[in-house]
Amino acid sequence: MLNFKRILLRLVWAGVAVAAALALAGIALNRGERINSLWLVVAAAGTYLIGYRFYAKWIAARVMALDDRRATPAERLRNGHDFEPTNKWIVFGHHFAAIAGPGPLVGPTLAAQFGYLPGTLWIIAGAVLAGCVQDFVILFASMRRDGKSLGQMAREEIGPIGGATALVTVLLIMTILLAVIALVVVNALRDSPWGTFTIAATMPIAVLMGLYLRYWRPGRVLECSVLGFVLLLASIFGGQAVSESASLAPLFTFGAMSLALMVIAYGFLASALPVWLLLAPRDYLSTFVKLGVVLLLAAGILWVRPSLEMPALTQFIDGTGPVFKGKIFPFAFITIACGAISGFHALISSGTTPKMIAREWHAWPIGYGGMLLESFVAIMAMVAACVLAPGVYFAVNAPAGVVGAAPAAAVATISSWGFPVSTEEMAALASGVGEATLFARTGGAPSLALGMAHIFSASLGGVALSFWYHFAIMFEALFILTIIDAGTRVGRFMLQDLLGHLYAPLGRTSWMPSVIVSSLVIVAAWGYFLIQGVRDPLGGINSLWPLFGIANQLLAALALCVATTILVRMHGARYMWITCAPLVWLLSVTLTAAWQKIFSPLADLGFLAQANQLQAALDAGRVAAGRVGPTETLIFNARLDAVVCAVFAVLVVVIAADSVRVWAGILGGRIRPTMSETPFVATALNAEEL
Amino acid sequence: MTAARRAYQHVWRVSRRAGALAMAVLRELSDERAYARHLAICGRLHSAEEWRRFSDERLRSRFARAKCC
Repeated sequence: MLNFKRILLRLVWAGVAVAAALALAGIALNRGERINSLWLVVAAAGTYLIGYRFYAKWIAARVMALDDRRATPAERLRNGHDFEPTNKWIVFGHHFAAIAGPGPLVGPTLAAQFGYLPGTLWIIAGAVLAGCVQDFVILFASMRRDGKSLGQMAREEIGPIGGATALVTVLLIMTILLAVIALVVVNALRDSPWGTFTIAATMPIAVLMGLYLRYWRPGRVLECSVLGFVLLLASIFGGQAVSESASLAPLFTFGAMSLALMVIAYGFLASALPVWLLLAPRDYLSTFVKLGVVLLLAAGILWVRPSLEMPALTQFIDGTGPVFKGKIFPFAFITIACGAISGFHALISSGTTPKMIAREWHAWPIGYGGMLLESFVAIMAMVAACVLAPGVYFAVNAPAGVVGAAPAAAVATISSWGFPVSTEEMAALASGVGEATLFARTGGAPSLALGMAHIFSASLGGVALSFWYHFAIMFEALFILTIIDAGTRVGRFMLQDLLGHLYAPLGRTSWMPSVIVSSLVIVAAWGYFLIQGVRDPLGGINSLWPLFGIANQLLAALALCVATTILVRMHGARYMWITCAPLVWLLSVTLTAAWQKIFSPLADLGFLAQANQLQAALDAGRVAAGRVGPTETLIFNARLDAVVCAVFAVLVVVIAADSVRVWAGILGGRIRPTMSETPFVATALNAEEL
Repeated sequence: MTAARRAYQHVWRVSRRAGALAMAVLRELSDERAYARHLAICGRLHSAEEWRRFSDERLRSRFARAKCC
């Protein structure tokens, strides 16, 4: 009987492997025919299952030697707050909610300009072999070190250079990240009274929730969130009424620059106001909405099983894409970013999560499995982007500076690429979702919202497209704004921490002059890049998203350096390939992208070439008198971007070189391979307590 | 008991457990479970003042960490 079960189990796993292989072959070899999105779902799910069951379990058992008899920090340091042994599926939900951000939604949407194939393959392979491994190893390492942070581990395992680099990297990434996601929101809300009203309404709703939780029904967070969600839905209907009102619509119709200034002002307010009033209630609400929408989208894709309209590969793999410039290598990988591997996850895996894990083996589903689910979200975003007709996708995502500002010019350009689209089609689509126009809505959010609305609406028999479009926009903007306000606040704390060394009162987080000054500095830093993106004739995403991708992958490189160092200390060179192979790939991608963004002779790709081209036009007097000032600003911005990119590249090289020094020292016997793990203590937890 | 009834009871049990787990995840994400633990560990009773004290402390540490992208 036992033997029969084992044979059956092996047959089931063989079936999963064959299904995944066939689906991968199907999507990789198909040319010229539309394929169903289920092929992507089966390829992803099958590969994830194989990776989880075999590769991750092998790492857990053989390399990490996870031991359920060993007490975790959650048990040894239990205090009921940070450290608390918790049911593994609750920790899984907590971890996933913490790592899920806008990156895996926006990145694949932008990378769809290469076709569905490159992004899909990297999302699947990158997650299984790199992203999940990074999250898992860092979670394991932190769990064995009393829940230490990535920065602390970098300092202890590699040296002070690694630790300092981690701090600088996080600050720099946050600046670029906040700017680029703010740009995504600005582009989604530009000239959209419906969207702007809905998002504006989330602020009084959050304040109402804050007051409700603080004074009227303290502690009733779920009850309050249900109330907030009902009000959010009401605000979407309210937005429709506003957009249809001749007197109210102009009050909520803004251009990109006005919206950018509003988002900057909002970031400052959210950073300076008490956290319970605006930030915390929005955070609760956005977490629940985020989880709900992810589940809804998965159910919608399985129910509708839409066909992909985008071809497997487009001609833009040669680097001439309208959404962003650059060839498939390295820019498909830089653009996908968080859907395959994200450095930020290492901060979560060495933050709250290791302090809640009750049994060491729980790190397997939480660390590795959590990232697999994040990767699946990226696959769903890819599906949502690719269900749109390619002509519509490019009309929405291509900046006016590339395809032309007039609708007729834009459709002519896009149709000439072999992706037919008409002004009538775009007008009907815009009217169907309650927007004045959908041309040049760069940033990824509007096209993702269109795809999601298409799937949600089709699930209900093709009704309420405009409601679902604005529901999707509300969902994207809600949690992007949550990251903006929380990120500005964190940046303010980091800055105050640094300023406190110069003048002690500046380090006090409750001293209002310090709060205001440091909030202004942080807001000014990301606000500068945001305004630069708004003014960019190529739409801003072309320069800012690659910068963000490079920065994010830099943090992942740091995490993989720490992980490799720990594996080298544990086993010598034997298993270092597990994290070193993804690291080598990541370094080649990041450094190639940085080199091309700085030094490419093509003006729409290289920052310096762009600056030089503009400077030459200025020197030759080919710039109209009224455009001289803005052109000088563009030149300065391009050079600034080149410097920022160079700083990222130098940081990558410094971290990698310092890590190689340590590995060579350990393997050559010059550095003692000491372990900073906490000693073994037997667990006293019994199964009932979990 | 018929096979259909047994299957129905099994599905009902699994659904209830899944629902309870989903609710527990939501309560963890909403800090309600953490608050209940706080009350139990400190031996205090729920009050508006106690919630504010707990919430202030919890939010201070939560919003000192960067959110994921």
